[in-house]
Amino acid sequence: MATSAAEYLERSVSGRHPDLPETTCGTLRLDIHEDARTEHWYLAIDRQNVEVTRSVEDADLVVRADREVFDRLAAGCIHVASALLRNELAAQGNLRLLMSLRRIFPGPPEARHPRDVARAREGRP
Amino acid sequence: MKEELIQVMAGNAFAVSDGVGDMRAQPHVPVGLFSFDTRFLSHWVLTVDGQPLYALSRDDMTYFETRFFLVPGTATHYVDADVSVIRHRSIDDSFNERITVLNHSAKPAEFTVRMEIGSDFADTAEIKSPQQRGIGVLVDQGQLRLCYERGRFGREAIISSTEPVEVDQGGMTFRISVAPNGTWTTNLHVGMIIRGAGTQDLRSSLEAHQRKVRHDMREELREWLERAPTLVTPRKPVASAYREALTDLAALRYQSLAYSQLSPVGGMPWAMALYGRDSMITCLQSIAFTPELAPATLRILAMDQGGRLDDEHDEEPGKILGELRYGEMAAFGSAAPTMYYGAADTTPLFVILLDEYERWSGDAALARELRHPARMALDWIDEYADMTGDGYVRYQRRNTRHGLINQCWKNSPDAVVDRHGREPAFPRATCELQGYAYDAKRRGARLAREIWGDPQYAHRLEREAAELKERFNRDFWLPEQGYYAFALDPDGRPVDALTSNNGHLLWSGIAEPDRAAEVAGHLMGPKMFSGWGVRTFADGQLPYNPVGSHLGGVWPSDNALIAAGLRRYGCDEEAARIVAGIFDVVETLGGSVPEVIAGYPRSQTKYPVQLPAGGRPQAWSSGALLMLIGTMMGLRPLGENLLVNPVLPRGYGPIELLDIPGRWGRTDSYGRERPAHPRGRRPRVR
Repeated sequence: MATSAAEYLERSVSGRHPDLPETTCGTLRLDIHEDARTEHWYLAIDRQNVEVTRSVEDADLVVRADREVFDRLAAGCIHVASALLRNELAAQGNLRLLMSLRRIFPGPPEARHPRDVARAREGRP
Repeated sequence: MKEELIQVMAGNAFAVSDGVGDMRAQPHVPVGLFSFDTRFLSHWVLTVDGQPLYALSRDDMTYFETRFFLVPGTATHYVDADVSVIRHRSIDDSFNERITVLNHSAKPAEFTVRMEIGSDFADTAEIKSPQQRGIGVLVDQGQLRLCYERGRFGREAIISSTEPVEVDQGGMTFRISVAPNGTWTTNLHVGMIIRGAGTQDLRSSLEAHQRKVRHDMREELREWLERAPTLVTPRKPVASAYREALTDLAALRYQSLAYSQLSPVGGMPWAMALYGRDSMITCLQSIAFTPELAPATLRILAMDQGGRLDDEHDEEPGKILGELRYGEMAAFGSAAPTMYYGAADTTPLFVILLDEYERWSGDAALARELRHPARMALDWIDEYADMTGDGYVRYQRRNTRHGLINQCWKNSPDAVVDRHGREPAFPRATCELQGYAYDAKRRGARLAREIWGDPQYAHRLEREAAELKERFNRDFWLPEQGYYAFALDPDGRPVDALTSNNGHLLWSGIAEPDRAAEVAGHLMGPKMFSGWGVRTFADGQLPYNPVGSHLGGVWPSDNALIAAGLRRYGCDEEAARIVAGIFDVVETLGGSVPEVIAGYPRSQTKYPVQLPAGGRPQAWSSGALLMLIGTMMGLRPLGENLLVNPVLPRGYGPIELLDIPGRWGRTDSYGRERPAHPRGRRPRVR
């Protein structure tokens, strides 16, 4: 895995996220399990700004998963909704905040722009 | 003759059984108890003293409750039965069946009552041939627990009884003694559990279920019907069809995991899930009747708006969801994924619905709240949908394993063809997508100017819309045929089939006014108009097939948009013919509005022939009936007022639609029949 979730949260999440709606406001806590310990990452979202800290404080939404699941999420390899449905990831609280993770973490690295696909003309019937 | 199937439903949970209430899994129809795209019971069969039961009658009390009145034995020898059985079932998040055994004899009687119980935990996407799953069966303190696990993924059905019971691996047995003229009753309760998933606790208790079903849901249905406008009509079948459509819409509302407000699912039995297109079209259709569906739908779709480029999900930033599936196959990627975005029309429809809802409701706060997603949706049209750079909205799946080939409303794999049956290459630009994009830009401009305080952006969108309209009328118009092409291929060559999509172009306003009469002439000509409604695909073209869903079938939802489009361009008489045709379908069939009927000429069959692919009820079919009433009454919000301009088919007057909700509070509309307008009137375009 190129970047772990912890590294990604540390380096790439704090700051402005223009693709988050201005109206999204709330706190998320990511509980990352590994062996017997849990790391807590605390994300405060307010008017397109995300602040990342390490805290065990209560949050509007608490998302729990193994480190491996978070790492794959941070690498864009899994979708948060499918992970939730597979119960690889547990979420408690205001579920409306969960999809914010889709805009905080990257998408799959191999994803293509529709225009590139069209240019390749794979679509000949 | 097909066996009668009985259904109860509530949101995305439903149960389908035979006429005595038994459920036995079948390959072609989803029989059993379902919730969140999972079958929790595939076998549920009641016997008394080893005998199957025979139905005397049934009481479909509400969409969520049915009672079966039964006697043991078969039709030939039930006469003078001295025992009868009532199965009273209800559904919300859980399922309950209250079984009452009545002893009609003057002596005490002993019976063995048995319910055979089993589950295959099939995904609704694989009903035709469910995979074999290892099912755990636990007999646990008088309960039967059926469990399925795959890694951390877990589904469980827990069946309990209020009366003492012998539980075994295959079901539950009651050895009972009933007093002379006495009764015995038990409640079999089925809890449906989705492990994890941050769910609401689906293990609701029997008491909570009964309180909810008997009080809350009945009361809520009564209030729902009361909140809707009152229709006063001399045609009794129309009045009952209206009530049925409203009830169907109530039945097809579901609560997502994140929002408490309810939004429409697609419909029974294959689409009991959130579909962006069906849901938004339903909201648009029902906006004058049940406007509360729109904000709930807009919010959930905004929350689920695409955020990333993702091939498996056919997702791009700003794109609005195609469908949301909670089943195992979606979660594990053996079908289209949980959140699938393979739809090219949902994104413009989102902006259209947001604007239309604000026009009706005056809810500017919602339009402000959803500015960001609306803006992302509008950006998507230019950045991601214009795949060849010619300014048209196009689609081509990137998920080539499970993605949809055609990502427009005509989404069957062979739906997009020219008049000789040739398929265009990808990416495809079907015409109605351009109409929706045009409408979205115009409406986005209004929102930008009047609510978002961004006149520059409004100006830009208006300019783009005008350019799109001009380009479209140049590239899609087939001057020799006198209608708009079905689609353009990637090189800009028109796909020349004559289709109902022309009507959507009227609905969107992208058609040039001086072409409306010619387009209307095609839509209402014998090649397209079956007598019941406008066919999806015109007769006389090679691929035409009267029993093909999108190659000849007649869809009430399609026709509702076409009729609205015809009125928008002043083709009032034509709109009235469609209203009358679809109402005739509903009056003839009774019950819920079908999803699609065959394209046979009405004069040939005299009866609307339903297609097996169609299910009842469907949200956008029920919504179609409401929209047709609105079109007939000519309802249109203008500023703070509701304009009313009725044009009734013969035999439909006088008609009243009272207490229409909107920014005006509540207002009434009245319609009388009037002589048809002379033809050649100046088209009215708004």
